[in-house]
Amino acid sequence: MHLGSLLGIFAYMNFTKEMRRVRSMDLRHLLFTLALICANDSLSAGDDLLQWPQISKCRSPEMETFSCFWTAGNFYNLTVPRTLQLLYKKSNEEDWKECPDYMTSGQNSCYFNASYTSVWTPYCVQLASKNEVYDKKCFSVDEIVLPDPPVNLNWTLLNTSQTGIHGDIQVRWDPPPTADVRKGWITLEYELQYKEVNETKWKELKPRLSTVVPLYSLKTARDYEIRIRSRQRTSEKFGEFSEILYVSFSQIGIGCDHCTEEVEFPWFLVVVFGVCGLAVTVISIMLSKQPRLKMLIFPPVPVPKIKGIDPDLLKKGKLDEVNSILACHDNYKTQLYIDDLWVEFIELDIEDPDEKNRASDTDRLLSEDHLKSHSSLGVKDDDSGRASCCEPDIPETDFSASDTCDATSDSDQFKKAAEKEEDLLCLDRQDNDESLPSLANTDLQRQHRSTQSENSHLWAPFGDSVESPRPSVHTQISSQNSLASTDFYAQVSDITPAGRVVLSPGQKSKLGRAQHEGCTEPNFTMDNTYFCEADVKKCIAVTSHEENEPRVQEQVYNEDGYFTTESLTTTVANFGASTAAAPSSEMPVADYTSIHIIQSPQGLVLNATALPVPDKEFNASCGYVSTDQLNKIMP
Amino acid sequence: MALARAVGRAGERAGSGRAGAHPDIPRPDIPRPDAAALSAGAAAALALLWLLVCAPGDAGCHPLTVADLFDRVIRHSGRIHSLSTALYAELEKHFPPRDNELGRPARKCHTSGMLTPNGKEYAQKIPREELTHVILKLLQAWKEPLSHFNQHIEHHQELPDDSLSKAKQISNMVHELKTGVEKVTEKMQSMGIISNSLNGMASSEDTGLSISNEANMMSDSDFIHCFRRDSNKVQSYLKILKCRIMPENSC
Repeated sequence: MHLGSLLGIFAYMNFTKEMRRVRSMDLRHLLFTLALICANDSLSAGDDLLQWPQISKCRSPEMETFSCFWTAGNFYNLTVPRTLQLLYKKSNEEDWKECPDYMTSGQNSCYFNASYTSVWTPYCVQLASKNEVYDKKCFSVDEIVLPDPPVNLNWTLLNTSQTGIHGDIQVRWDPPPTADVRKGWITLEYELQYKEVNETKWKELKPRLSTVVPLYSLKTARDYEIRIRSRQRTSEKFGEFSEILYVSFSQIGIGCDHCTEEVEFPWFLVVVFGVCGLAVTVISIMLSKQPRLKMLIFPPVPVPKIKGIDPDLLKKGKLDEVNSILACHDNYKTQLYIDDLWVEFIELDIEDPDEKNRASDTDRLLSEDHLKSHSSLGVKDDDSGRASCCEPDIPETDFSASDTCDATSDSDQFKKAAEKEEDLLCLDRQDNDESLPSLANTDLQRQHRSTQSENSHLWAPFGDSVESPRPSVHTQISSQNSLASTDFYAQVSDITPAGRVVLSPGQKSKLGRAQHEGCTEPNFTMDNTYFCEADVKKCIAVTSHEENEPRVQEQVYNEDGYFTTESLTTTVANFGASTAAAPSSEMPVADYTSIHIIQSPQGLVLNATALPVPDKEFNASCGYVSTDQLNKIMP
Repeated sequence: MALARAVGRAGERAGSGRAGAHPDIPRPDIPRPDAAALSAGAAAALALLWLLVCAPGDAGCHPLTVADLFDRVIRHSGRIHSLSTALYAELEKHFPPRDNELGRPARKCHTSGMLTPNGKEYAQKIPREELTHVILKLLQAWKEPLSHFNQHIEHHQELPDDSLSKAKQISNMVHELKTGVEKVTEKMQSMGIISNSLNGMASSEDTGLSISNEANMMSDSDFIHCFRRDSNKVQSYLKILKCRIMPENSC
């Protein structure tokens, strides 16, 4: 055994890298140890190693007496034979006493009878010769109880099955005679084990207190073996097994040797064939040309699809193209508009008084018919910067190149669409409440109407003050019109439930005008308590004689639809660039929400640049201000 | 009465069934009886015990016999012994003995000084009153140290909650067992089985208090080892006492 282990170690060492370096030295060591062991083996004829005498176990069968057993060891042969003694000591004693009885329990044992036994007293025993102590053990008697095996095992037949193939028996036995279970001094548990005669593994029953156990459903054609062992109730170790009891049904005449065994259900075959059949069916369905059947069994999994958008574009990440498609795709946009009930439009006033008759942007948006009919959307001023509404995310450079959108679709259609959308989205402020077309959503219409009216109210006071800067505004506006009316700033107008940010681009030229207009318009009612600060700020900016900033319009909606964060990043970059390129005459607008930090890809931190407004209480971001706040701001 | 017995037996079966569910392979763990089942059974049994011990004059109330009462307290003490064995095993696992267990000198328990019969013969020889007195003395001696131990063991972070709950259970059950044995004693005295000479109980109260100081010196696992031994003593004495008083009932 040791040879083998050493060889194993040796082999292992051969394989380790480090050992290879000192291989030669270790080899020598190993060889030396091997030699030693071989020598030792030859010396001790057959025994492995030197063994000292040791106490093997101490046992009490009934908690009234106990015995200790030891092994003598193997150095008797080598040295002068010594007599081994077992000394014991109770816990409250000082002297070691010798074993009272070396005989009763057999050789190399010591028997303590009842007079020497104190049950709950700690004992210590030690195996010693004259001078040497070889082994020592301490215990108390109640801990070393290992009962004797039960006796008088026998069995009786309870009944047999109808076919006579199975039978029930009852096994009973007596507790070990030494254990005084009658007086209750010791309580025993019994564990029964049984097996067929030619089996190898014993079946166990749960330990139980009773001395009678039924065994059910034994095969009458077979013979069984039964054995029982016992233990003290609160301990874990079992005693020895009893003698084996043989159960043979043929002895009592009911053995059914010629009975055929019940055919067990061929579970294995059933499972195998079932699986094969199922596989064949599935394969045949998959391969079949019948689309209906295929659809029935394997319904197609719906993949995310955007109408009109080739999913390949999305996959390839060509967002520009996708956005352009989205921007200029008529049907898509209208669909989106209608779905979004959060849309709040605040219309900006436009110079042209004719436009007052137009339907509000909201109305236009909400009514699909209206969207399609260009007539209602009236052509605004040419310098409205409509084109800017189409593709806010397209880089400014591209945009500036042409006055129209770089749409991939038909240019005419696009122009129309652009006009439409920009009018819708760029939210020309029209304070006409009368000529509203029939709308799908009357609530929204009302709301927006009220929004308009209150805005007009809001800006009523400024009507006079704004008069004078008007001409300059106009000129500026006209100058601006020639600029590529890119939207340099995007305002977060809405956050969709899906977690996307809806940006609405602003229109500088339009805003300037619109702001001007808006502030002079007195037709607002204060029904709606909330309106965007931007509106308020517009007026304030005007009063404080700032230059025309590009205004953010309350564009709740962007014709480009929902931006993904990727598009936003590109947008931001573009906007950032465009901001730098913005003419110095324009001040940074407070109500544009500039994208401050991009925590891509999860989100953006939007930060509105602070507008130098007289009232510092104003929130920098373009949030909603309540009426009270507004009243505070407005003088 | 039958219901009470059934409850008691159910509790016992639950305890013993679990205790014996392990194959006989040398394992460091001692089979743990289902503590929940034990305590539930114990609580139910003892609750019913005191409910149904009614005055002789009550109609519709079946007073328990001494045999039933004895059965209950014996079962209760058996559960205590099982719990303490399990707790000892857990403590040994968490605080392994520093030196070789076999060579360890005998633990000094605070009840070592008590004079208790240490064999079956002695237990059978001494008078019943004295045996009863010894049982009560033992239970009294452990009442306070166990509560101290409970408070002390709660501060042990590394012990599992299972051990802490066992310790608490043991403490409660010992108290219940003492109450139970007192009731049995009263019943026996009322029936004239034993004489009313248990006047030494007062002195045992005092000894219990003085002994508890020694108990605090021991380590946790030694403490539980001592208790385990004493719970075995109590159980054995109760069994012997029962068979002495009623030799015909399965004795």
